[in-house]
Amino acid sequence: MLAAVRSNILPLFFVLLFGLSFTTDAYAQYLINLMLVYVVVAQGLNLILGFAGMFAFAHGAFMAIGAYVSALLMNKFGVSYLVAMPAAGLAAALVGCSIGIPAIRVSGLYLAMVTMGFSEIVQWILRNWKPVTSGTDGISVASPVFFGVELSDDFQTFYIILAVCAVMTALAQFIIRSRLGRAFVAIRDSEIAAQSSGINVARTKVLAFAISAFYAGVGGSLFSLTQHYINPDNFNLYQTIMQFCMVIVGGASSLIGPFIGATILTWLPELLRNAQAFQEIGFGLLLIVFVIFVPKGLAGLLIDKGILPREEYSSRVRGKWVVRKERAEGSERT
Amino acid sequence: MTQILKLEGLMVRFGGLTAVNGVSLTIASGEIRGLIGPNGAGKTTLFNAISGLAPASAGSVHLDGLEITSKSAPQRAALGIRRTFQTVQLVQSFTVYENLLFGLHTRAGNPLTRLIVGSYATPDADADAIIDEVLDYLGMRDLKHRVVDTLTIAHQRYVEIGRALVARPKLLMLDEPTAGLSPAQIERLDDLIGRLSSDWKVSILLVEHVIPLVVKLCSRITVLDRGRVIAEGTGAEIGQDAAVQKAYLGERLDA
Repeated sequence: MLAAVRSNILPLFFVLLFGLSFTTDAYAQYLINLMLVYVVVAQGLNLILGFAGMFAFAHGAFMAIGAYVSALLMNKFGVSYLVAMPAAGLAAALVGCSIGIPAIRVSGLYLAMVTMGFSEIVQWILRNWKPVTSGTDGISVASPVFFGVELSDDFQTFYIILAVCAVMTALAQFIIRSRLGRAFVAIRDSEIAAQSSGINVARTKVLAFAISAFYAGVGGSLFSLTQHYINPDNFNLYQTIMQFCMVIVGGASSLIGPFIGATILTWLPELLRNAQAFQEIGFGLLLIVFVIFVPKGLAGLLIDKGILPREEYSSRVRGKWVVRKERAEGSERT
Repeated sequence: MTQILKLEGLMVRFGGLTAVNGVSLTIASGEIRGLIGPNGAGKTTLFNAISGLAPASAGSVHLDGLEITSKSAPQRAALGIRRTFQTVQLVQSFTVYENLLFGLHTRAGNPLTRLIVGSYATPDADADAIIDEVLDYLGMRDLKHRVVDTLTIAHQRYVEIGRALVARPKLLMLDEPTAGLSPAQIERLDDLIGRLSSDWKVSILLVEHVIPLVVKLCSRITVLDRGRVIAEGTGAEIGQDAAVQKAYLGERLDA
């Protein structure tokens, strides 16, 4: 029973949220929706930061591209949300590719600087390309219509967001376990070993950019649904830092990490509502504490303690948990 | 005998430094070739130039009759050049099995699935069979699902060799495989390397500081000093070679 819970924790999480949606009030439902949106965005950031080990600092901007593209397609061209959302993801992925191709020439801190510069350019465009983006006034987002039914409140949009989040999670798991996901980890841990095993490092890095931007784009589109109104301030540096917090606190390079991180960092600010001045300080402190004391995040901690099963990178070895406890026994055998 | 590797006048320059200076050598199929030389002789740079990590400034590299001088490291890996590293380069948080899957990265498949997903199709039953075969050969089947950072350095080196073997390479390059091992472990590795070339039909280029091991394993040894080949021959021949003695020990004082 417990073992079944441990190994199916994500499906159970979705079922639980589905059940909860019948009992929530409007505000709690809004927060659940927002949390699921951040799960999608954090998964994208986790793929590039946690798995591929690249310090891309641009996911607020990718999210903005997704949010604006989907809102503008719906508002100005009357495009269905079913088309606007994937289009938002693809637009972000395309931009991700084009920023990725020059950006992968540098790594580490320099990559962070280049991508942060890109984020500022996107901010500038959002603020100054007024005929299209309405500048700092922002734009309101039309409610999506499915088969003649307008989904206007958070209880209705929840179903879209939950479904998209589930699909994106399945896709993330698929990518992580794929040849490409392994290539991400290979270039993170040793580029020379990756190259010598036949992995094209440049192509893998550009794909990491494109895929994680796709996640941020889809997340941005969902985000616009939860807000009904978007403006450039939604996607500033603070947004990107919060996403970093989610990945680091939740646990980088873990499928479950973004769920833990997004949950904590969506609800924590609500608990600190009475002390808003502490919110940003709180996030900063949280990041410092985790980077120093819990570098693998909560997911890594739970896996090391044997509370959660180790996530397998091959689809063919399910159910064989390799727990750190083995370190003690027989590791000196030769 | 066919030539697996042929280098002609290979040069690698880093700015003003010429690390590999006009090296020519050929390795026959099934041969275990030793590559020795004092520190800074250019052994590792030559390794990098052969595996494609360091671009050649001049000269040419042929693999099994095919010119690969301008090919990238991943392309050369796909063509059958695999290597291990002086310091173990494995994904420490992955299991042995997961690390060996990296070796199968270049396996042929549908180009679309290879590019985008590649995935559930690639770690297929075939891949499992190949990995099990290699693990059995290395005597590590029971460690298949162990996380690499729980293994000894000796076992980690075996995993690196395994990662190369699953690709069934034409040329296997071992960069100081005995570094950091105990004498007992060295003996076992030595035995393994001796069997590898015939069991897996692979030519081996071995960089090693433990000279007796090289002399025992390799029918021919190439000695490198300051980026040049200063001697080539059997262990006995190079032991007598004046240039080799000078490179290792310096000039005789009473001469």
